[in-house]
Order: sequence, then C-alpha cells, then structure tokens
Amino acid sequence: MKIIACYSNKGGVGKTATSVNLAYAFAAAGKRTLLCDLDPQGASGFYFRVKPSKKLTEAAFFKDVERLTKAIRGSDYSNLDILPANLGFREFDVFLSRMRNSRSRLKKALKAIRADYDVILLDCPPNISVLSENVFRTADAIVVPVIPTTLSERTFEQLVDFFLAHDLPVKKLHGFFSMVQGVKALHGATIAEMQSRYPKRFMKTQIPFASDIERMGVLRAPVMVTAPTSAASKAYEALYLETAQRVEGE
Amino acid sequence: MTHSNDASYSLPLAAAEGLAQEDFGKFTATWMPEGDDSDLTVLDCFDLPLLRSGRLLLEIRNTLDLLTADGQILTQTAQRGGNFVTDLPDGPVKRALGDLSVLRSLLPVGTGKIRRETLTLRDDEDKVQCRAQLRQLITADGGALLVFVQGLRGYEKARALMHSKIEAAGGKTFDDDDLFARLFPGRVAYQAKPEIVIASDEAAFDIANDIIAAHILVARANEPGIIADHDTEFLHDYRIALRKIRSVLSLFKGIYEPDQTEDLKARFSSLMAATGRLRDLDVYLMEKQKYYALLPVALHGGLDMLFNRLSADRKEEHAKLAARLRSKSYAKEIEKLERLFTRRKKLSRGPKADLSAHGYASTLIWKRYDKVHKIAAEIGPNTDDTEIHALRIHCKKLRYLMEFFAPAFPQSQVKSLIKPLRHLQDTLGLFNDYAIQQVSLAAILHQLDERPESGALELAQSIGALVAMLHRLQIEERAKVMDGVARFDRAETRQRFRSLFREGH
Repeated sequence: MKIIACYSNKGGVGKTATSVNLAYAFAAAGKRTLLCDLDPQGASGFYFRVKPSKKLTEAAFFKDVERLTKAIRGSDYSNLDILPANLGFREFDVFLSRMRNSRSRLKKALKAIRADYDVILLDCPPNISVLSENVFRTADAIVVPVIPTTLSERTFEQLVDFFLAHDLPVKKLHGFFSMVQGVKALHGATIAEMQSRYPKRFMKTQIPFASDIERMGVLRAPVMVTAPTSAASKAYEALYLETAQRVEGE
Repeated sequence: MTHSNDASYSLPLAAAEGLAQEDFGKFTATWMPEGDDSDLTVLDCFDLPLLRSGRLLLEIRNTLDLLTADGQILTQTAQRGGNFVTDLPDGPVKRALGDLSVLRSLLPVGTGKIRRETLTLRDDEDKVQCRAQLRQLITADGGALLVFVQGLRGYEKARALMHSKIEAAGGKTFDDDDLFARLFPGRVAYQAKPEIVIASDEAAFDIANDIIAAHILVARANEPGIIADHDTEFLHDYRIALRKIRSVLSLFKGIYEPDQTEDLKARFSSLMAATGRLRDLDVYLMEKQKYYALLPVALHGGLDMLFNRLSADRKEEHAKLAARLRSKSYAKEIEKLERLFTRRKKLSRGPKADLSAHGYASTLIWKRYDKVHKIAAEIGPNTDDTEIHALRIHCKKLRYLMEFFAPAFPQSQVKSLIKPLRHLQDTLGLFNDYAIQQVSLAAILHQLDERPESGALELAQSIGALVAMLHRLQIEERAKVMDGVARFDRAETRQRFRSLFREGH
C-alpha cells in the first residue's frame, strides 16, 4: 500500500482539485483508494457529495482508530472511498501535537485501514504544522502543486528548506506546475527557472488554468467524470500516470 | 467498495413490477437500463457446480458475467480457445472459477433473454448511498429476477432499507434458493451420486433394484456427453455407475436367482468392457504433464512420440465407442436393462431377497470389514504386492457397501468411518496406478517397430526412463501404504465398526 500526500504550504493552488482527480484516477485504474480529507478548507469530500459525519466533530474522535474507520464513506465511484473532513480535523492536528512524542501516531491510525486499500491519498491543510510533519514522515510521496509565480517559487523553497532542516528526504517531494496560463510570459519564465533549479523534483505534467476545473464546485464531481475529454481531464490523467510511476519506481 | 454483507437475491419474475413501485422514503430511487435486452446462455459444468454453489455464469454477446452469492457481478471477455476454465483468458471471472474441476468443461445449460437495470438510492445531496443491479432472466419455461445489492461503505441505513424492501418482495438469498428449478422448471439436475432413500426394514431385493435403476439412469445421462466428447468425466461417471451396479450384483449375494445374477453380471460387464481402453488412454493423457516433469528435457522427444501415438489411439477409440453408443444394438440392450429394473416383473427373487436392509447390510459390511482387517493386520515391509492389490479391492467393495446402505444407518457415524477408509483408498489407488502404468508402458515397448527409422529407439529410451521413475514413486507410495493401513486398522476404528455393524442388530 502507498500513501500519497497532496500538499502545499500556500492556499489556492489547486491542491484539492488535484487530490480529487488523482484519487479518482487511481481508483479508475483499479486501485482500491481512500481519499482522506485533512484540509478543513479544502472540502474534497464536498466534491464527492459526502456529508461530514456528526460523530467526527467530537474532540475525542481520533483517540479511537476504530471510530476513524467508521467515518469512511463510499464514493459514487468504484474502488474509491472518502474519509470526509470536518471541524474535528483541527483536533486531528491538536491531537497529533499532544502526541508529540509519538510521531508514528498517524502511521498507526492508517495501519488499521491499510489492508482495505492499495492507495491512501491525503488532502493536507496548507500550513507547516505537526500534522504536516507527520504526513511528510509517513507518506511515500508528497505531490506539491506550484503556480509558476515568484511567490510560489518562494514557498517551494521554504518547503525544501523545511525538509532539509528536519532531516526529511527531499526526494519524496514531487512538484508539478498548477493553474498554468500559457499566455503569461512570467509563467513560462518561472517554469524554466524552477526546472533548472530542481531538475529531479518537478514532474513533466502541467495542469492548465481551466474553467472546467473551476466548475467542479458546481457539478460536485471530478473533472475526469464531468468533462473526460477536456484538456484539464487529460492533464490529470497524465499527472496520475507520472505520479504512479514515481511512487511505484521507489 | 465491496462489503461482506452485500448479498444476492432471487425473486419470481413477477416481483419486478412491485419493486419498481416501492417507496424508498427519504431516498430518491432511480432506475437506469444497462444496455439493451440481450440473448443469454447459462453456462455450467454437467454436474452443475456453479448453480449448486449459488453462482450463475452467463454468456451475453461477447462477455461472460459471473453472478455471485455476495452481491457481485464479475465480467470479462467470453473469447476463449476451448470450453475448460483453463482456456479462458485471465480475468476476474476466470479467477472466481478457480475451484472448478480442471477436468470438466463449461457447457450451455440453457438459453434465454436478459434485461439489465441498475437501481440507485440517492440522498438530498444527490449522493449515491446504495446501488442494486437487477437482472431479469427469462428462459423458455421459467425465469427469475436477480438482485445484486452493493452498499457503499458508511451508508448502512440505505443498504438495510434496500435489503428489507427486496426481502419483502419475496427475495431469497442465493444460498436459500434453487436457481436451477427457477430457471429450468421440470428439468432434472444431473446427480452423479443419486440419493436413494432406504428404510431400515425395507427388503434387500427392493434396495438392490433401486440402486441399480438409479445408476442405469446415471450411466444413460452421460451417454450424449461421451459421444460429443465434451470432457473425460462423462465416461468416468458412466463407468463408475456401471461398476456400482456390478458390485451390487456381486456383493448382494442371494438377492436374485444365481442364473439371473450371472446373466446380469455378464451383461453389465460387457457394457463396461467396451469403455476400458478409452478410459486408460484418457488417464494417460491426463498424466501428460506429470510424465514430462519426471524426465529430463533430453528425453522429452521420446515422450512427444509417445503422446502423439496415445492421442491418435484415443481418437480412434473414442470414435469406436461413440459409434457403439449410437448403435441400435446398444440402445436395445440398455433399454432392456432399464425396463427390467423399473418394471421388476422379470426379476427372480433369490433366497435372501426378503431380508431387511439393516440386518442384511450389517452382515455384509461386517464380513467385508473383517476381511480388510485381516489383510491389513498382515501387511508389513515384505508383503507381496498382490496382497496390497487385494486389500485395495476389498476396501473398494467395503466402501461401496457402506455407501449403498448409508441411509439405513446413523448418517454421521457411517460418514466418520468412510473418511479414514477413503484416505487409505487414496494411497492404495496411487500405489496401484503406478504399478499399472509400468505394466502398460512395458506393453507399448513390446509393440515397437524395430526398424531404425521408426524412432523406436528414442521412444524406448523415454519409456524405459519413465518406468524407472514410476517404480521409484511406487516404492515411495508403498511406505505410505504402511502408514495408511496403520492409521485405518486401529482398535478404536474396529470397535466402531463392531458396534455399528455387528452389535447393532
């Protein structure tokens, strides 16, 4: 089983759209997939019409792994289940910080559901916290969407620095360019610059800035379902293939 | 994703309409057709292992659908090189058929039409909470509505509601339903081992007649399959049925007048004799891979020649037997025998015809067991092979007697005695097979064409090596025979035989 985290320390970069479509693509390829919505603002569960469970809002929730597995919901698509987000995930973070001395806590929680899935995809909140550090240690790969702007360039740098400072393997980071607008000269220049600076850390696939992706919020389904022939959908398919290859290649 | 509590239901066809009008409360139910109505063929082996285990294999256009008891419909291409499971391309259906006998081919059981639909329950956010796949199967004389419920993880209420609505509409789970009877009413499902009801005070004469009549039907049911050469099990079952009849005639002494007994024995033996050579060849060809594995690659050329020869012989033998089974003289003879045992007017009662089943069987079984025990007690490392063969024959006769009369005794006790007996028989059987194979391979050697260009030398080398290997295997098996005998011939087993068959009457 592989754990893939979708993470960005900057908001609004298309992280949740990536999680949703990647999870869908893994499932469609026959992998039993669980998408964990750890981002209270991201609402990848929303895109799958999954209501947050009331039980999940209880603070004590994550003391009990069994109750975590009970919160899992089947999506409308075969092979794909969702662990929906809710306010309680703030407690997830707090809970993990309390467990400071036991950093493998997340791993332990995931172990219980390991047997059921081939791929666990984590849609992570956009900050660097104890939770994200836990995720970095646990995940086999961290997929990082980066908008090709100067600001995003700096946040990616910060992420790499964080990895180096905390003795985390940088090779787990798999960046890709998100919300790319071909007409913008700045985008093209930034992409070239970052690729030469981190030649191994960036995947080839670029996800275009597309209205089809924005409409996901209205249609509440992966763009790979609502507009399978669109450029956006094809780009996610390519991203899935590249990610799968990098994860399997380890 | 799939769940352990997903389930498959079967309902009368008429239930479809009522279900379509069901109110699913807070859920919105939508019905979506899945493709057009299609022709279908139900596939199974002749002895119906799929239908009997709550599975339904359907060929619909170019796909194979396997409908399972746990709510799943598995699908893969129907294109295949032959009709055995091993001929199917790799896929979910093939994998789920892994328990079927490799010796049995998949055959059409019947045809019909199929209508496919999906029923989906959604909540107020338009989220799917439960799905059910519906299959209406319409055959010539019957039909069924099959429903496969697939709940989604975390939506137990919707799933429970779906289950309760289907059960209220008359749904029975696959395990509790006779799918064969629903789809093919009035047809008799093939039973290689027919169940024969025996009352313990029933006359031995009637029991013998019942067993023989039932097994003539078993033999006859296999005739078309032997002629069509679907698989080798048809002939195998045919022969077992005839062998059982013959053993009734020889084991149930004094049931019929001696002259009639002799006449019947001869007639059934001659039916059986015509099949022997083909069965031997079938067994050889089944062992093919094993033979190749036994010899080094350098000797495989000779095996190729051997198996080409055996295949050609088999083809010839099969044609001969098929012609015989289709002949008027065969039909006349088997129909005569069939009539004899259904009408029973021309059967002459022997001196023991009127003994009651229980007492009669007890005596026979105890005597036979005693023989087995006496030989078994004598068997040691230096015992002659002929003694071991004798033991095998007695064990076989004992097993038949116990199986014939099992219904007249407490079932569980007979079963628990048959089990160790069967273990011993398996070991003895293997020992015997190795011996017979050596003898018949040697016989092939004697028929070889001695001219150098015939390739006889290469063939002879391979056969020689094979005989040596088989001899080694036989010696290994012999050591196991000693173990098997020791395990069967225990004081405790003897006591159980005694109390059931000697003191019980």
